Amino acid sequence: MAQNINPHYASSSNPAKQSEDTIKLKDNHAVSKRLQKELMELMRCADKGISAFPESENLFKWIGTINGPQDTVYSGHKYKLSLEFPNSYPYAPPVVKFLTPCFHPNVDTCGLICLDILKDKWTALYDVRTVLLSIQSLLAEPNTQSPLNQQASYLWPNQPAYKKYLEEFYNKHKDS
Amino acid sequence: MASSRDELKIYWNKIYYAFPILNDMLFTDCSDEEYQEIQEIIIGLGIQIKIRDLVLVHIEKYLRQHVAPSFWAKFIKVEEEVKGFQLFKSAVNDLYESLKNFSPILNKLNTLNNCCGDNKPIFGERDVLMGFKQLLRATLLSQLPLDFPVIINHFYKISFNVFDNEYENSEMPDDIMCSGCWNESIDCNCAYIVKIFHDTNRKLVELQLLERLTGQVLTNFIQLRIESHIQKVCAGTFDVSHIGFLENWLDTTVMSWLTRIYCAGSSKPQPDNHIVLNAISKFKQKLSYFLYHSYTKLRIDQLFNIVIDYPDSQAAVDDIKLCLDKTDLRSTLCKKLQNALETRLLHPGVNTTDILTAYISTIRALRHLDPSGVILETVTKPVRSYLRNREDTVRSVVSSLTEEGAGSELAEELVKFAVDNDNENDKEEDWDEWEPDPVDADPKVNSCDRKASDIISMLVNVYGSKELFVNEYRTLLADRLLGQSVINTEKEIRYLELLKLRFGESQLHFCEVMLRDVSDSKRLNALIQQDRNFESLNSKFSSNAMILSAQFWPPFKDESLELPEEIKQHFEAYTKCYETLKGNRTLSWKPHLGNVNIEIEIGTKKLDLIVSPFNATLIMHFQNKPEWSLEELHQVMKVPITILRRKITYWQSLGIITEKTTDNYALVDGSEASKPSGSRNQVQDMICEDEETESVMASAHDQREGELQVFWSYIVGMLTNLDSLPLERIHQMLKMFASQAPGTECSLQELRQFLDTKVRTHQLILQAGMYKLPKT
Repeated sequence: MAQNINPHYASSSNPAKQSEDTIKLKDNHAVSKRLQKELMELMRCADKGISAFPESENLFKWIGTINGPQDTVYSGHKYKLSLEFPNSYPYAPPVVKFLTPCFHPNVDTCGLICLDILKDKWTALYDVRTVLLSIQSLLAEPNTQSPLNQQASYLWPNQPAYKKYLEEFYNKHKDS
Repeated sequence: MASSRDELKIYWNKIYYAFPILNDMLFTDCSDEEYQEIQEIIIGLGIQIKIRDLVLVHIEKYLRQHVAPSFWAKFIKVEEEVKGFQLFKSAVNDLYESLKNFSPILNKLNTLNNCCGDNKPIFGERDVLMGFKQLLRATLLSQLPLDFPVIINHFYKISFNVFDNEYENSEMPDDIMCSGCWNESIDCNCAYIVKIFHDTNRKLVELQLLERLTGQVLTNFIQLRIESHIQKVCAGTFDVSHIGFLENWLDTTVMSWLTRIYCAGSSKPQPDNHIVLNAISKFKQKLSYFLYHSYTKLRIDQLFNIVIDYPDSQAAVDDIKLCLDKTDLRSTLCKKLQNALETRLLHPGVNTTDILTAYISTIRALRHLDPSGVILETVTKPVRSYLRNREDTVRSVVSSLTEEGAGSELAEELVKFAVDNDNENDKEEDWDEWEPDPVDADPKVNSCDRKASDIISMLVNVYGSKELFVNEYRTLLADRLLGQSVINTEKEIRYLELLKLRFGESQLHFCEVMLRDVSDSKRLNALIQQDRNFESLNSKFSSNAMILSAQFWPPFKDESLELPEEIKQHFEAYTKCYETLKGNRTLSWKPHLGNVNIEIEIGTKKLDLIVSPFNATLIMHFQNKPEWSLEELHQVMKVPITILRRKITYWQSLGIITEKTTDNYALVDGSEASKPSGSRNQVQDMICEDEETESVMASAHDQREGELQVFWSYIVGMLTNLDSLPLERIHQMLKMFASQAPGTECSLQELRQFLDTKVRTHQLILQAGMYKLPKT
């Protein structure tokens, strides 16, 4: 569990913790390098349907794009996400949020995602690409057992109604 | 009371009698004995100090009101030099005379002063006479008129002419006009002028007015003379050293004239007269500095031409080198030459080869001028950056490197380097001859680098790397190897060896392989031709293949061309033979490259041609079927219609194919073809020539485009996620995130071009300065 706490956000009341922080900050270079490499990999593979790129000069803040998976209610939609990498990345997971409003059992109204690999199942072997692919597959196969969005969870078994609702939902959001 | 007043009046009159100046008069009959009495009276009254001061005040007043105005009245602006000469002479004379009149008064005043005993300095000087001169100078200069230099100038000009003439006269004794005084030789005034001149100068020296009155004018005048002399002597010729002559001229003519001015006519100053000696040597220092300065300036103005002429203008460069140490003109030199290079060389109207030639001679000349290489570095910076932007620079450099015959300085340089390289040891021993860099050197650059780099490496360094240069050489070599049917590999190998000496083995390894490919192909061809299996297939025509190791050759321009069936079969057979000869290897044909020898018989006409495979294929199709539409040809040859249309004109120009209707071509039948019109033949020559002259290699530009493709995925990623970005942001982001990718350096301009091509192919949209991806 400890590895999932971002030392950057953790309170730094005791000095020991603080020194650990500085060690992590020193490690910043290694993190940048890793992110840089991931970016290169991502650009090289160019998977269909997922993409991500640093938002600005800050390598620790990315914007990702996911196309709704084919043959699902989400196909044809495009979702923007924000990815924020902690200084302890890849030992801690990135904070991933939907920027585009997403009506989905495991996504709340603020865009927060309930996905195990972004929480306690995170390991350093995951990277941006796998995270995005996981989210993409989450769109196709939601975990209705632990929903963040109750309404969506109820509606999910009835796909045609779900789809209809989804269209309305997006039309509404497009207007606003 | 009355008597004492009368007495005083008598005394006062006596004092007046002794010092008429108190009444603004100069002359008196007062003899020395009389004065002695009067002085005793004065002393008796105890007013000697007061009287002395009063007299001085009156002298000052007299000078101010009479002497100075009448002196300056002569200084008017006149045009004729002779008049000016006379005016100045008479002014000085009059002044001298009127001051002579002061001498009795001054004598009396002197004795009076001696009795004062208060040791008060008179106008800052110890004795009366000196004080008087000081007073005179002060008064005169306080009333200086505006135009006073005019006649002084005339005066010295005339005398200098006379004097200068004395030295040069020997060359042209029979001139009608005396070039000294511009009078006819018979009544030459020179002697008179010289006399007056010395006389006047002597008077001025005596009055200690010479330097004050004429110093500035004299300096200006001499400087002008020096300048015009330099202009006269040195204009336009760079192959003679002038500085020696100029120094000599300064010494003999100018300095001896000056000496005469100071020493009132004698050409040698008295050795004990330190003031004069000092003044003269100071003057000389000033003037010789000025001489160097103006000479260098003149040379700097001509420096561009000097540099261009270089080995011929070595004398001029030597002169500049000498003068630069004595003057402070280094930075001016750099700036001026840089400007000249920029305005005369670095614009689109100049051929790259001309720029290169100029650059080379600049390097040579400046090397000689400044062995430390600092000036060279500063001056040629814009040239280098300009050359970097020219597309054909590398090509020009490489081709002139490998060019044969006269005019290819670079080729000579290359050979020279090979020779020099052998005896380049023991250089390290010269540690005791080390010299520091000049002050304007760039501290970041190692001075050894500056000195060591020779012309070729300076040219190569234009690009900062050998790689690009070597790549371009490779492309050129490939072009040459493929373009010639008979290849002189020996010559190429010799050049390659020379280049290897310079750039190192590893860089040119590819080229080595290329050359070996050529000789290997010859051998393989011979082997395959002897192969019996192949021979049976090879009845119709013979072929020679050039077998290239694809990895080592520069990328070729890709063009599609579908060959006729029989040719393909032939090639396949060839490939088979090759495969049996060389296990594990095969051939992949580049059908659009190479040459074809064809013989065409049409009617009575017979043509022997060497054409490109493209044209050969084209005409071969007509062999089987006399009429083709473009569309059909496109089907069989797999070549874009536009290119087909362009290529077919070659055969049209030969009068073998005509366009029957739009886009329908037919073979001309025999009877028509046998009488080609004259004009057609001319066209043919023209077209034959410009056919296929372009390189078959992908140009450096195209290769670069390929490298830029690496960025494309990044750009797509960027724009997918960030919607739209301006050019600068994209450039910045690429620099930040794509810097590990190969071929990384990419200028803003290059990126813009690249993105523009993407916009043109509809892969990007440019909207209000922002690039974005088109909606899918």
